[in-house]
Amino acid sequence: MFGIDLGKYRTIVISIALFLIFDLGVLVLNFFISSEIASDAVNVNLAGRQRMLTQRTAKLTLQLENRAQAGVPQDVELKELIAAFSLFDRTLAAFERGGETASGDGKPIRIAAVDDGVAQAVLADARKLWDPYKARISEVIESGRASPAVASALVTQAERANLPLLKLMNDLTTRVEELAASKATLLRAVQVTGISLATINFLIILFHFIRHLRASDRQLEQARKETDDILRTTQDGLFLLDTQAVIGVQHSAALERVLGTTALAGRSFYDIISPAVTPKTLDTTREYIDLLLRHDVKEKLVASLNPLECVEVQVAQGPGESDSRYLQFGFNRVFENGKVTHLLVTANDITRRVRLERELQASEERAKGQMGLLVEILQVEPAVMNQFLRSAQDGLQHINRQLRDQGSAREVGGETINAIYRIAHRIKGDASALGLSSLATSLHSLEDILNGLRERPALSGEDFLPVTVRVKGLFEEIEAMHLAVSRVAQIRGVVSVEAPRPQHDPGVEALPFVQRWKDFAVRLAGEHDRAVELNYHGIDAETLPDSLREALNSMVNQFIRNSIVHGIEDTDTRRRRGKPEAGRLSVYISARDDGGVDLSFRDDGQGISVSKVRDAAVAAGRLTADEAAAMDSRRIVGLIFEPGLSTRETVDEDGGRGAGLDAVKAMVMQLGGQIRIGSTPGEYCHFRLSLGALPSLAPIDKTEDKAAEEVPA
Amino acid sequence: MDEQQLRIFVSIIQHYFEAETGRPAEVGSPFLCDPAQLPVHDFTGVIGISGNRKGCVYFSSPREILREMLLRAGETDVSDENLADLAGEIANTISGNARREFGHEFLISVPVVVRGTHQSISVPRDVRAYVIPFRWHKVDASLVVSVM
Repeated sequence: MFGIDLGKYRTIVISIALFLIFDLGVLVLNFFISSEIASDAVNVNLAGRQRMLTQRTAKLTLQLENRAQAGVPQDVELKELIAAFSLFDRTLAAFERGGETASGDGKPIRIAAVDDGVAQAVLADARKLWDPYKARISEVIESGRASPAVASALVTQAERANLPLLKLMNDLTTRVEELAASKATLLRAVQVTGISLATINFLIILFHFIRHLRASDRQLEQARKETDDILRTTQDGLFLLDTQAVIGVQHSAALERVLGTTALAGRSFYDIISPAVTPKTLDTTREYIDLLLRHDVKEKLVASLNPLECVEVQVAQGPGESDSRYLQFGFNRVFENGKVTHLLVTANDITRRVRLERELQASEERAKGQMGLLVEILQVEPAVMNQFLRSAQDGLQHINRQLRDQGSAREVGGETINAIYRIAHRIKGDASALGLSSLATSLHSLEDILNGLRERPALSGEDFLPVTVRVKGLFEEIEAMHLAVSRVAQIRGVVSVEAPRPQHDPGVEALPFVQRWKDFAVRLAGEHDRAVELNYHGIDAETLPDSLREALNSMVNQFIRNSIVHGIEDTDTRRRRGKPEAGRLSVYISARDDGGVDLSFRDDGQGISVSKVRDAAVAAGRLTADEAAAMDSRRIVGLIFEPGLSTRETVDEDGGRGAGLDAVKAMVMQLGGQIRIGSTPGEYCHFRLSLGALPSLAPIDKTEDKAAEEVPA
Repeated sequence: MDEQQLRIFVSIIQHYFEAETGRPAEVGSPFLCDPAQLPVHDFTGVIGISGNRKGCVYFSSPREILREMLLRAGETDVSDENLADLAGEIANTISGNARREFGHEFLISVPVVVRGTHQSISVPRDVRAYVIPFRWHKVDASLVVSVM
């Protein structure tokens, strides 16, 4: 309508327009009929006056006759007669054809011809009576005076016309009154009809629209309730931003929790985030929101620019203690008629997710770092390792005490540096001996720093900062190793088996029985064109009961021979494999609380070759090829303790008969102990024996083992 | 915290003493300390650190140092309130400078001043803290950095 889309208001506008049209129609008709009624009222008056004028004219003719017969002047009567006559005549003509006459107050008035048939018939009859009457009167008027005869003739004419004319004028009056009354009735009818239509229209509007309004209200109420439920229940912070980045009046209840602030409606988004972000991020956010509000920029294109993907917010928790929360804001455009009117923003607390991601990342990094460490740790006996770690930690604590005891002294003596150096060097030596190269490297870098400090002429406390930082790093490395060792121990299930290792005593290396092993190893290695170095850790074997000492000595000799003959590679091969030229043999004996002892023997040679043992077992006729193939590596390796099995192709005084390890096994059986073997081909071979606490041993038959006799027990 | 970051904290304090009193504080040899044995003097300004690393840094001074500093600055009112205000100012200086140096690495809180024992200072457990002793006017104070 009029080019305006009235939408759902179309019906109500039409209804109201109809109401106005009805009212206007009534008004127009009312105006028109009222003016008709007004002119009818004039006609009624004029018709009544005509009735009066007939009587007056008759009366004046009688008076004129009396005057004429008495012979007295008749000017006054004649003058009045002229007035009455001419007024009646003019009014009659006006009724008939329309025209001017005089109103009741003598002023000229124009009236329309009476357009009613009945009235016109009355007027025609009156005209017939009036014209002869009028001619007679005109005659008198024209002569200026009436003779008694003329006056008598006039009276006669008057007597003939007066009553019928009076009746006709009376009829005219009545008819005109009837006409006026019928118009008033019409007016009332029009008014009643108009008002009735308008009232009906109003009632239609009322009932129709109230029903619709109520339905709409119900829908709105339901929609509002649903929106409220969503906003109250959702765990996301939801709100709308207008084009000025002001927060809308509604937002989800969770928003206040997420942002940690209340009374958000109507506030600027920038004001709320500015304390949590850097000025640069705030500027980027403004630019980003401006871009989103431009409908000519694709939302997906700019989505990756969101600077509020992960915002870190600091939250105070107590004196000097604070924590971080991480918030994520997402923005979506709200369109209306193709234009961006708002942005729908979702705010979430992603602290938990961010922390999990970081923990995962950190643990991955730790795992990477620990891999190398684990490889080193796995090569060292757990008890030896634990002992080393305890000693290293004690050493580091000692260094830290040295640092602390200097306090805030201005001059720091070189003695402190030397003391720290000595401890660091000792730990480094131990770490190297155990093959813990990464720890040895860290300690080496500490030594470098200490050497640098030694060369300085004067030292302040601050110069020790790098030392403290390194010491902290070493503490952490040692703790990581502790953790790794205990995990490995759990996996191996050997925690309870491994005996606590006594303090390392460098003096033990000089004991005669150790010296004998060393000599034996060096000599035997020389005979086989090998180079070896034997280290011993543990208790003084001389303190053990003779029988046990003798058994241990014999076993160690057997292992030394086994290592040199089967394990340690020639120097060229070792060099190629990145190993020290001298093969390392590590012997460790510890006493258990139950009176038994543990013996550990390890070499860094080529390890046990499962396939060679398998072939040897088949060659010796101990197994068929099928049996050997079906047997698992663990059981195959176990065969090296079986009599008559050797992987050596030639037999000499040191091996090849397959008797050495068989003898060890026999002794262990006799002592009620057990044997474990660990080996990685190309890297090492490790025997661990747990020997029982038997009071005495049966004599060991050494005659089969010629080499054993070479080394006095 | 690496060596470089610790040095920044040390230099903030040295500069503060030098600028305020014209006499630098001597730095002692730093050492490590378990949380339970951390040195706490009469007034301690604590700064919380969060973000990639979490923990706190505090500078703890005995009342003698703070009183001497006030007197040198011409302040005759050496009430505890004024001493605490000065400890707060030192902490603010550390916090402000640290925010400038490390703002992109950590979130650094507004400092608070704690009087007395370390029950009211919350340091990360299971972390060996760095203690850097300072000596000024023959009295010892401590900077403690305990960050996970």
